[in-house]
Amino acid sequence: MADVQLRQIAKSFGSVEVIPGLDLDIPDGSFTVLVGPSGCGKSTLLRIISGLERPTGGNVSIGGRDVTRDEPSKRGISMVFQSYALYPHMTVAQNIDFGLRLAKTPADERERRVAEAARILHLESLLDRKPAELSGGQRQRVAIGRSIVREPGVFLFDEPLSNLDAALRTQMRIELAQLHERFDATMVYVTHDQVEAMTLADQIVVMNGGSIEQVGAPMELYERPRTEFVATFIGSPKMNLLPARAVGRSDARNAGVRPEHIRLDKNGGDWLAEVVVVENLGSDTVVYLESEDFGPLTVRVAGHQSLASRARVWLTPEPEHVHLFDADGVRLP
Amino acid sequence: MMKGGLARELLRLSVLCIVAAFVLGPLVATALGGFKSNLEIRTNPMGLPASWELTHYLGIIRDPSFWSYLGNSLVISLLTVFLTLLVGAAAAYVFAQIRFFGSRLLFSYLLLGLMFPFATAILPLFLKVRDLGILDTYWAVILPQTAFGLSLAILLFRTFFEQLPRELFEAAYVDGCGYVRFFFRFTLPLSTPILATVGTFVFVQSWNNFLLPLVVLNSREAFTWPLGMMQFRGEYMTAWNLVLAFVTLTILPAIVFFLAAQKYIVAGLTGGAVKG
Amino acid sequence: MSTIPESFPERVGRTLRDGRFTAVILLLPPALVLFSLFVIVPLAESGRYAFFDWNGYGEPADWVGFENFERMFGHSVFHQAIWNTIKLVLVSLLVQMPLALALALMIYRKTPTNAVFRLIFFLPFILAEIAAGLIWSFVFDGNYGVAAGITHAFGGEPYFVLGDRTWAFVAIMTVIVWKYFGFHMMIYIAALQGVPQDLVEAAKIEGAKTLDVVRHVQIPLIKPAIMVSAFFAIIGALQVFDVIIPLTNGGPSNSTQTVVTYLYTFGLSRLKIGFGSAVGIVLFLAAVLIAVFYQRFSNRAVSR
Repeated sequence: MADVQLRQIAKSFGSVEVIPGLDLDIPDGSFTVLVGPSGCGKSTLLRIISGLERPTGGNVSIGGRDVTRDEPSKRGISMVFQSYALYPHMTVAQNIDFGLRLAKTPADERERRVAEAARILHLESLLDRKPAELSGGQRQRVAIGRSIVREPGVFLFDEPLSNLDAALRTQMRIELAQLHERFDATMVYVTHDQVEAMTLADQIVVMNGGSIEQVGAPMELYERPRTEFVATFIGSPKMNLLPARAVGRSDARNAGVRPEHIRLDKNGGDWLAEVVVVENLGSDTVVYLESEDFGPLTVRVAGHQSLASRARVWLTPEPEHVHLFDADGVRLP
Repeated sequence: MMKGGLARELLRLSVLCIVAAFVLGPLVATALGGFKSNLEIRTNPMGLPASWELTHYLGIIRDPSFWSYLGNSLVISLLTVFLTLLVGAAAAYVFAQIRFFGSRLLFSYLLLGLMFPFATAILPLFLKVRDLGILDTYWAVILPQTAFGLSLAILLFRTFFEQLPRELFEAAYVDGCGYVRFFFRFTLPLSTPILATVGTFVFVQSWNNFLLPLVVLNSREAFTWPLGMMQFRGEYMTAWNLVLAFVTLTILPAIVFFLAAQKYIVAGLTGGAVKG
Repeated sequence: MSTIPESFPERVGRTLRDGRFTAVILLLPPALVLFSLFVIVPLAESGRYAFFDWNGYGEPADWVGFENFERMFGHSVFHQAIWNTIKLVLVSLLVQMPLALALALMIYRKTPTNAVFRLIFFLPFILAEIAAGLIWSFVFDGNYGVAAGITHAFGGEPYFVLGDRTWAFVAIMTVIVWKYFGFHMMIYIAALQGVPQDLVEAAKIEGAKTLDVVRHVQIPLIKPAIMVSAFFAIIGALQVFDVIIPLTNGGPSNSTQTVVTYLYTFGLSRLKIGFGSAVGIVLFLAAVLIAVFYQRFSNRAVSR
C-alpha cells in the first residue's frame, strides 16, 4: 500500500524535451489511469515511476519515501509490460517465481505465493507450460501473476491490453477491476484507449505533449473537461466543437456539445444541417451531418432512427450541456 | 546502476581499451615497421620511427610484381564473385520458383558442400585441375572456389527468393513473361541486398585464399598476393622492414574495403554463419 | 479451372510452353556440373585413392588396402596434429568464446563508442590468415620483433617462442584467438540485440542485478547463437592451416602440425596422393561427425 508523488518531474532525451516539468499525486489505493495520444509522455512517466528511466529533474516518492535514486527493484513496485515480457525459456511457474528466487525468499514461502497467484488467476493447470504454448490472455495472466507475487505497494501497467483482441480485452478489463478490489493496492495504468480509462479508473490523468491537461474522476472529466483537448479526447463519438456564436455567446471562442446532448428534429431547431451518413448501432444511432454554417457535426440519438442521406434536419443543443472554451482552449466557468 | 555506475563504466572502457590494444598493437607495429631501418626495428619495434623512411614502401609500390600479385588476386576474386552469384542464383531460383520431380533431392545434394572443409579433397582437386590442363591459370582457382562457395550461396539465395512476393511472378506471367526472363528481369534486380552480402562474403574468402592457389599456381606470373607475400618473405628473410611494408600495403586495401562494405561483410559473415 | 485430369503428354506440353522446362534445363545444370566436378567427384576420388600407393601419374595401380590409414594412425606426428587440433578446440571453447561473450555483453548496445570497438575487434577476422601469421611472426621474432623489444628492455637473452617446442603452439593459439574472437563476438552481438529489451527491464524490476540478467535471461536466450559459434570454432579448428605456415611451418620438429598442415606436408608436398587422400578422408569423417552431432544437439536444445 503506497501513494506516489511526482514533484517537478522533467525528462529530456538528448535535446528533445519529452516532459517539461510536472507534478502529480497518485493516492494510496487508487486506480489511476494515464491516458493520452501516442507520444504524449505517458509511458515515459510510468517508466520514471518504475525507475527504468531516470528523470532529468524532479523527485519521485513512493509511500512517502524519496526513491528518485533507487533501483527499480527497491521501490516496492511491479510492472506489467505491453509485450508481457515473459521469459521464453522458463515455465509459467518459473516465470512467476523468478523475482522471489532473486530475492532469496524461503522455498515454502515462494511455493505458497506462486500457488496463491496461480489460484487467483486460474493458472493452476498451466504452471508447467512455456509461454510459447499459451494464448494471449493466458500470457497476460502470467505477467500479472508475476507482479502479484512480489506483493508490491504499487502496480504499474504499460498498455497491458493492447495486444489482445476486442473480446478478450473486455474480459481482462473486468478481471483487472476485480484484482484492484481484491488487493486494494495502488495501480497506475497507461493506455491510449479512453474507453479503458473511463471504465477502469477512479482517477484519470489526461496527458498531452508532456504535460498534464487534467486530473479527475472519469465522470468529472466527461462532465467538466477543463480544456478543449480533454473535451474532445474523452467521450466517443468525439465532442462537437463549434464557433461560440452558434450558441449565441461572444465571450468565448468555441462551444462544445457532445453528440448525445444534441436533439434532432425534422421540423425546427437552432441549426440546420444535412445528413451525410447514418450508423445504426441498434441501441442507438450515430448521425453524421454537415452544416453549412458550422461544418461537420455528429449527433447520437437513442434507439433506431431512419433518416435518408441528404435529408435536411434541425439540431438543438441541450443548453445545460454546452461547454465553452476561451481563445487558449481553456474552459470558461 | 546508479551508485558505482561511473566506476563500472570506467572498468568497462579500460577492459575494452586493453583488448583494442591487443588487437591493434601488432597491426600498428607492422605499419610503423615499414618506415623504420632494420636496426631501429630491433631496438624500437613498437614506437614511432625516429625518421620516417619512405624508401621501403616506395620500392614495393614501384615493383611491378607487387601490382601483378594484386591484379591476379583482383581478377580471380571478381570472376569468382561473378560466377558464384550467377550460377548460384540461377540454381536457387529454380529451387525457389519451380516444383519438379527430384528438386528436394538435388537441393540437399548441393548443400552437401556446407558440411566439410575445402582441404579434404585438395589432392584429387589438384589432379583434376591438372588433368583439365588449367594448372597455373586463373580458372584453376576460380572454378573450385566457385564450386565450394555454391552451397552457402544457394542456401541464402533460395531463402531470399522465397520471400519475394509471389504475386509479382504471377502478374508478370499473366503479362507473358516466362520463367527464364523473369529471373533476369525481376529476381536478380530485386535481390541486390542478398547479392551484395553473398558477393562480399565470396570476395573476402577468395581474396584471402591461400591453400588452393598454393597448390594450383606455380609460376610467379600467376601468383595471387598471399603467394607473392610468402615469396617476398622468402627472399627478404631478415629484412623485416621490407616485409612489413609489403604486408601493410597488401592489407591496406582489405581494411579500406572492410570499412566501406562493413555492413555487408558483417551481415554475410555472421548472418551467413548463423543460417549456414 | 478445368476439372478434367490432365494427361501426361498434355502436362509435358504445358510445361514446355510456359518455359518451366527451359528454365530448369538452362539454370540448374551449371551449378550441378561445377559442384559435382570440383567438390563431389574429388571427394569420391579421395575415397578411392586412399587405398592406393600412388604418386599422381598414370593410373593408380598399387592397391595397398588400409596401409595408408595404418601408417597415419601409427605416425607420432599425426598424433601430435590431432592433439594440437584438440587443443585448438579447447582454447576456442574455454578462452575464446567466453572472452567473445564478455566483450559482446559490454558492447552490444548501439552507441557510437561501441560501434568503434566492434569494428576494431572484428578487424582481424577479415584480414587474410596468411597476413595475420606473418604479422605475428614479426611480433614473436626474438631478434627483431616485439618479443625482442621486451627481452631487450629487461636485458634478457633473445628468446624465440616459435622455436620452443613447449611454447610454440601456445603462441599459435594466441594468434588464433586474436584472429577469430571478433567473429564469435559478432555472432553474440547479433543475438543479444535480438533479445527484447522488455525482458531485461522486467528482470531488473524483479531485482535482478546485471550478472543475474546475463545468467538467467540473456545467456539462455542466445543459446542457439552460442551453439552456432561453438560449431564454427570446432569446424574452424579442423581447418587451421594458413596461419601456421608463416609462423612455424609445422615446426619446430613437427610440434605445431595440425591435420591440414600434416596433410600438406606429408601428402601433397611429397606427392603421396594415396596417403594424403587418407588424411583427407579422416578430416571429412570428422567434419561429418561434428555436423551430425551438432544437428542432434541443436534439435534437442530447441525442442527442450
